[in-house]
Amino acid sequence: MATQSLRPCGDFRTTYRQDTAIFDTFNSRWAMILFLALLYVMVLVPILAPGVEETPVLSTLFGPFYNAQYLSLAIQACYWGIAALGLNILVGFTGQISLGHAAFFGIGAFGSAYLNNTYGIPVILSIPLAGLIAAAVGLLFGSPAARIKGLYLAIATLAAQFIIEDLFIRVDWFTGGSYGSLANTVELPGYDFSAGEWVTLFAFDTDPKFFLFALTVTIVMYVMAANLMRSRDGRAFIAVRDHYLSAEVMGINLTKYRILSFGISSFYAGIGGALYGHYLGFVSAEGFTILLSIQFLGIIIIGGLGSVMGAILGTIFMVLLPEVMAGGVDIIASTDWGNTPMITNGLAFFKEMAIGAAIILFLIFEPDGLAHRWRLIKAYWKLYPFSY
Amino acid sequence: MRKTFTLACATSLGIMAAASTAAQAEDSVFVGHLMDITGATGFVGKLYGPAVRDAVAYINANGGIDGTTIEMDSVDYAYEVPRAISFYKKWTQNDMVALQGWGTGDTEALISFVAKDEIPVWSASYSGHLTDPTGINPNTQKPAPYNFFYGPSYSDGCRALAQWAMEDWEASGGEGTPKFVHTGDNHPYPNAPKEACAAYAEELGFEVLPPVVVSLKPGDFKAQCLTIQENGANYAYIGNLGPSVVSLFKSCDTVGTDVQFMANIWGGDRKTMEAIGDSERSLIFVAANAFWNDDAPGLETVRAISEMADPDVDFRTHHYIRGICTAYYMKEAMEWAKENGGITGPNIKQGMYARTDWVPEGMEGVCIPSTWTETDHRGTMTVNIYRGTNVDGEVGIERVTQTTLPRRDDWLGW
Repeated sequence: MATQSLRPCGDFRTTYRQDTAIFDTFNSRWAMILFLALLYVMVLVPILAPGVEETPVLSTLFGPFYNAQYLSLAIQACYWGIAALGLNILVGFTGQISLGHAAFFGIGAFGSAYLNNTYGIPVILSIPLAGLIAAAVGLLFGSPAARIKGLYLAIATLAAQFIIEDLFIRVDWFTGGSYGSLANTVELPGYDFSAGEWVTLFAFDTDPKFFLFALTVTIVMYVMAANLMRSRDGRAFIAVRDHYLSAEVMGINLTKYRILSFGISSFYAGIGGALYGHYLGFVSAEGFTILLSIQFLGIIIIGGLGSVMGAILGTIFMVLLPEVMAGGVDIIASTDWGNTPMITNGLAFFKEMAIGAAIILFLIFEPDGLAHRWRLIKAYWKLYPFSY
Repeated sequence: MRKTFTLACATSLGIMAAASTAAQAEDSVFVGHLMDITGATGFVGKLYGPAVRDAVAYINANGGIDGTTIEMDSVDYAYEVPRAISFYKKWTQNDMVALQGWGTGDTEALISFVAKDEIPVWSASYSGHLTDPTGINPNTQKPAPYNFFYGPSYSDGCRALAQWAMEDWEASGGEGTPKFVHTGDNHPYPNAPKEACAAYAEELGFEVLPPVVVSLKPGDFKAQCLTIQENGANYAYIGNLGPSVVSLFKSCDTVGTDVQFMANIWGGDRKTMEAIGDSERSLIFVAANAFWNDDAPGLETVRAISEMADPDVDFRTHHYIRGICTAYYMKEAMEWAKENGGITGPNIKQGMYARTDWVPEGMEGVCIPSTWTETDHRGTMTVNIYRGTNVDGEVGIERVTQTTLPRRDDWLGW
């Protein structure tokens, strides 16, 4: 059921190449490419033609893509989404568990800011380097996975969370201690040969520009993950998850792949963290708590464990849920009967509870996550109205 | 199931669309307001945040800024920095002219944003390094030209407590060198005054002990109490919030630690003293305004604001009153701006510099006279020190002293 395909009748896979295609059908591939291209265009137009968002007719068309709050939410979805995908590689594909993902996310954020501030490495390069730093730390803290699994591994990664979180406050030279550190905007550096110096070609200094940058990084990271999963290493991850003993019998080096999975997962967390840092412009140790780690787990459970698509769907859900709830609370508070202190104060808590309730409802009604629900919706329309 | 799901999707889309349609009133200025009601700092956030909201509602009901309404969007961001940023972005597109902020996390994150967008922000984070607008002090990492707050900084509050502790030590005939210790979680907020305060305590003649880490979340702190006892600390500064202070009191009462606790501005209030229950020890804490039951002319306004918001409430903490003070400084800075070129961010900032020893009208005796200048955002160096006691469930709050610290240059931004 979960692998339900939308392949038309009579369209068979005849080569291994077809069997491992990322998109099942021609249509789904082009739909995705068109959707992303359209997204780029819609965001680009207000950048290239300032004022278009204020002209009468075009404003309704381009307004949402210029709206600062929507863009800010979309950027959030990008950096959380990259980190969540990393955790999904570890938890969903390799069957390991990590309660320390937020710490690696933080290392990416601080690492990129540190490399840029201290060594003057352009942000655009310090982001992947920060990913590598996070990966190195992830390999280190993932090494217990060589020997332990399940709940014991969860506790070992919990230790990573606490140790690293504490280091964020103490290692002043790296993180700026309790004051945190500043992070510059992402810039595309260029070399001016006539002047003989480095100049800024293009700065992603506004939200629409930064969104395009974050979106590009997200697409690259997602394509990389989707490709990883159809490579030899990706299949090894899945084998380790499905039955580690059989995997070992087949000749898969369990230690190598378990730790490698931690490394890759932390790399993704690091990239996500670096984007987060450079977007906010400031990194504070306060942000990378165990709660964030658990939120990452929540994202991939809601989105669908072991699904690349699920990671981004879960992230979008998690980003939008508080906003939708806040909107609902606002509406109740704007009514006459709702605008009493008891109700408005109570609603604030109701909003938080609703997020918890949503997670429980998902676990009960949709344990395979949004990715599965998405497939069902597609199947429904594909077969409509002759679904039986 | 499928129908329910579709219905749920449609409803949520509808809610979002409705929520994003903001009403635009005639002749009004837009102010963003971040509150923490449900987040990590909600214990005091739900006292301070509504105060700002209620004060602005009262100002609007009484003529606004010379006829201009303050349109304020108060949101609970649950102490999550990314959500604060996302609200901030939304508001800047609504032509926000000023921002009422809250905690350490969002304030720090927004420093460079508000400086770039020229939006003055009044935070309830009193970190010393927010007070250096031009970066005069070489130790200042990041100048904060558009950051304001009303009240003494965490560092100055702690310095005043250290000064009081030394006077108390001498008055009570203590012998030898008194010992001073900082307690608090290993987080930006409790850590903010750590070094600055330790340096001044040493200057005063204290022996400063290594800091003791006490979690911001309440818990069993007997181990920490034993450490404090074994180190022989006489005065312990607490940089945490009320619930953690309560736990610390309970634990140290059980262990029998002989130390005088002193809390920062967020650590002591009537609710905390009530929660502590019967205790032999007292809590010394910092405050920056008159209390609900004091006798000051400005409290009439405070009571009217509270009455208008919720007639059933018969007591408000000093955090609530401080929130009102903060809103009133914003109001008068806006009035100045309106007379001098219009209510815009840079004009409001200038409005904050327009007066010296300034108490907003209607707040006489409530807010401490404050002065902000272009190079010094330490509004006040005056610190009120209170003592809270709880004897057989009877809470007593009394003012011990009012200390005015020297406005030292090396303390700017530290």
